[in-house]
Amino acid sequence: MANEFEMSMIGEISYFLGLQIKQMKNSTFVSQGKYIQDMIKKFGLLKAKSMSTPMGINDQLGSGASGNMVDQKLYRSMIGSLLYVTASRSDVMFSVCKCARYQASPRESHLKATKRILRYLKDTHDVGLWYPKGYNFELIGYSDSDYGGCKIDRMSTSGICKLLGKSLVPWSSKK
Amino acid sequence: MPVVVVHTIMNDFGIKFKHVPLLCDNESAIKMTQNPVQHSRTKHIDIRHHFIRDHQQKDDNVESIGTEDQLADIFTKPFDEKRFCKLRNELNILNFSNLK
Repeated sequence: MANEFEMSMIGEISYFLGLQIKQMKNSTFVSQGKYIQDMIKKFGLLKAKSMSTPMGINDQLGSGASGNMVDQKLYRSMIGSLLYVTASRSDVMFSVCKCARYQASPRESHLKATKRILRYLKDTHDVGLWYPKGYNFELIGYSDSDYGGCKIDRMSTSGICKLLGKSLVPWSSKK
Repeated sequence: MPVVVVHTIMNDFGIKFKHVPLLCDNESAIKMTQNPVQHSRTKHIDIRHHFIRDHQQKDDNVESIGTEDQLADIFTKPFDEKRFCKLRNELNILNFSNLK
């Protein structure tokens, strides 16, 4: 391949497109700590109080939500940055996807929910995916659905994740 | 379905799985995949449902799992801190400083 393409060997991969990759003897760890910290700085939430979960249990984000319209550009850029975080952080997948549905007319309540995800990430920026070595190698799928969970059009959200041994491989949250 | 995709990729790598369970916490949904009878109340559930039903008859099995152990829950609804952290740890999304 080296004959065909110009390439050079620069050692083990440690940082690639915002993904920090740590390769250890028995496991690999993928996180986006630096990207998350930069993102929080960009949106000026460095001094904000951190949260323990990305979304409250009773948070209602209907399209008829209260509050004035907020800057669509800011909202969209927040969602865009957060969507990239879901590459290694499947725990915010659901809440980010939920907030992303209201990009057409974001209200104050939607912006508040999005900021809450950022505040959750602020405290947990060094959390990432861990792929251990040497567990049994079985493929197990989990699927779940919230029966008509969306209050607006009564559509369901389905969640899927696959575990190969103990490593999370694909996941999705889809309305 | 992602299960089939991963299954096919692993097959290409030469890793064969004998049994790939798809765990679901809804008993009636499982019953419907197992019983190939057309009900008048399920006729609106079309292609995706028939796809799973088809695979059920071949090899992949839809099996039941308790709501407590359902890891895909984290992708469908918000949770309180305790349950959220538990599910997050089960999915192996961990804090680097807590490893080992």
